[in-house]
Amino acid sequence: MNTCDWPLLGPLQWTSYVNKQVRVKAGKDEEHRGWLLTVDPVSASLVLVDFGLPGKASVQVVMGHAVEEVQVLQEADQETTERLQTSFLPPTPRRLDPEVLTTTRVRVRSWLEKNRIPVEEEGAELRVAGVLTITAPYGPDDCCSSNQIILDRIQRLIQNQPDALETEPEPTGSPKD
Amino acid sequence: MATPVSVLRLPRGPDPNSRGFDPKSPRFIALCRTSIPTSAEAEADPEQLQKEQHARSMLRETFLRCLLSMANRKVQFNMYEKVKVEATFGASDIDVLNFQVSDLHTPIGVQKEALIRSQDVISFTYDV
Repeated sequence: MNTCDWPLLGPLQWTSYVNKQVRVKAGKDEEHRGWLLTVDPVSASLVLVDFGLPGKASVQVVMGHAVEEVQVLQEADQETTERLQTSFLPPTPRRLDPEVLTTTRVRVRSWLEKNRIPVEEEGAELRVAGVLTITAPYGPDDCCSSNQIILDRIQRLIQNQPDALETEPEPTGSPKD
Repeated sequence: MATPVSVLRLPRGPDPNSRGFDPKSPRFIALCRTSIPTSAEAEADPEQLQKEQHARSMLRETFLRCLLSMANRKVQFNMYEKVKVEATFGASDIDVLNFQVSDLHTPIGVQKEALIRSQDVISFTYDV
């Protein structure tokens, strides 16, 4: 693996290095060793993880443009692969009671409607203004849209939703009838 | 922790955009390829292209999650000329060309906010 070759390998070849322990030579005299978590396809940067104490790890990112040599040392065993996979993934969603989900969905829907946002129920999802989808459990992180501005607004709105069902708060910024 | 140094304002300093940050500067065009293009094999074969794109998105998603986990953590940057500096990571731009950091410890003091060019960085490391 010569100086310039690493960034040219491409996503399929980079994937073949993932979950392997590698030794990377970078810059003039830097050497890094660790389990390869991923390679950024935009910058060819390698992300190496070194496990120390349980629950702790040190991460080294080597910039793609500085890579001189990459050498595979060994494959990861099942345990290490699992540890690598789960270290950065988002926490698995808790399984919620369908009734609780329905109540939450109705609550979020009425909060949006109070704020004059057009929203429709589509099965278990909420569809907002035809461009944003909210899946269970209908929190700010469950919003999905290709429109950055609407996404931001709806996320904030849901974040600021009052907890109490009984009180009927004034929607933010709405004109008095 | 040392008091942050005030921003140095040199008289008639150079145009800040000409230091390699300006996308039109020759340095930027030469060194900062903003993305790595599709391979030739993939362009010829649609199935290969799909596989490559899938691999690309998996790799990128993991990388973005790493960047997310770095936010607001102390990171040590190893740069060229044996420069090692510590800072609190803020964000990276989409092409991983610049890193925004806070409390950058430099030999002349602590810079409250700074942009680091990724071309100057060999590697950086942090603890999870």
